[in-house]
Amino acid sequence: MDEKQVLELFLLTGTEEAFCALFEALYPRVRRYFVLRGLDRMAAEDLAQNVMFIVYRRAAEVRDRGLFNGWLMKVARNELLQHWRRQPPPDWMVAFEPLSGSLGDQMSAPTFVDEASHFAEWMTFLEPAERELVRLRFIEELSYDGLALALDVPVGTVKWRLFNVRKKLSHIISRTSRDTVSEYPRKREL
Amino acid sequence: MIHGISDQEWVAYLDGELEAVDRDRLETHFIGCAICWEFFDRVARTTARLDAAGKATRHSVPLSDDELRRSMGEVLARIRRGRLQTTEVRERLDCLERVMAPMCGTTTATRALRAAAQGSPAQSLEYVTADNWTPFLSSLRSIAAVMCGETGAHLVWESGQL
Repeated sequence: MDEKQVLELFLLTGTEEAFCALFEALYPRVRRYFVLRGLDRMAAEDLAQNVMFIVYRRAAEVRDRGLFNGWLMKVARNELLQHWRRQPPPDWMVAFEPLSGSLGDQMSAPTFVDEASHFAEWMTFLEPAERELVRLRFIEELSYDGLALALDVPVGTVKWRLFNVRKKLSHIISRTSRDTVSEYPRKREL
Repeated sequence: MIHGISDQEWVAYLDGELEAVDRDRLETHFIGCAICWEFFDRVARTTARLDAAGKATRHSVPLSDDELRRSMGEVLARIRRGRLQTTEVRERLDCLERVMAPMCGTTTATRALRAAAQGSPAQSLEYVTADNWTPFLSSLRSIAAVMCGETGAHLVWESGQL
């Protein structure tokens, strides 16, 4: 069963068995959300468990199933904000640093290490709100509607912000990359 | 807007969602405008790089089966604890209704319980839990004092202790 079917089954039956299947599908992603934002393993697990508990109690309130992932990320984001409010300021700085150290050591495949490191490095050039938008879009693969729900802003604002971030990153990435501009369209089929 | 192309059009074009007429207009413009072509090319490449890097990042945080099972067990234990508390709360609400009904009537007792929930952090009878029980019961005691007198309110307070 894919994630959508697992979710439907849980919403239909509400049983612990169905929840366990949903847990297996969602928990790795929720935990990753917190790890990638600089939390240590224990804190990431605690917050991810809180999120899954909320999923159990309130998933039925999500009317549009297509927006479930956006809702899930919104719950995770709220948990993270509450966590940060309880923490001293230096934790914010940790979240801004490039992927390195123990987290970097956890990378599973060399090619992924390179790409994931690039991603983490690019994020350091962005403002916190921009970084959250890019992570939710390109790591969590949220749709524009899902992003609007997760970030609590209109869809048009999401599109505009994301476009501006892509413009900003395009300068940064092209500076750090050996890529050259594609052949000019006079010689291309457009 | 640069060269007659708005941000909305750029977004739609980059997402492949621009209407055919507008897409043709942009692509015709690109043929004669190196600035716009280079901009499109750069942003499109950036998007592709972000897609690839995002995918890599998704695979970069491993989770062992043991960790998954342990976390699942902890969440399930929490759910079961919550379920026990919910049963206790429902039983106590029924008890309060039975205590108040002879003093003010069943309908009024039910309304008093709802009003007390609305005036407490639970905000609704359905959301009264062990965690927000005390403010709910305080609210109910105040209502009962008006409807049933201090003695009745005291009885409600004592009967409602979890």
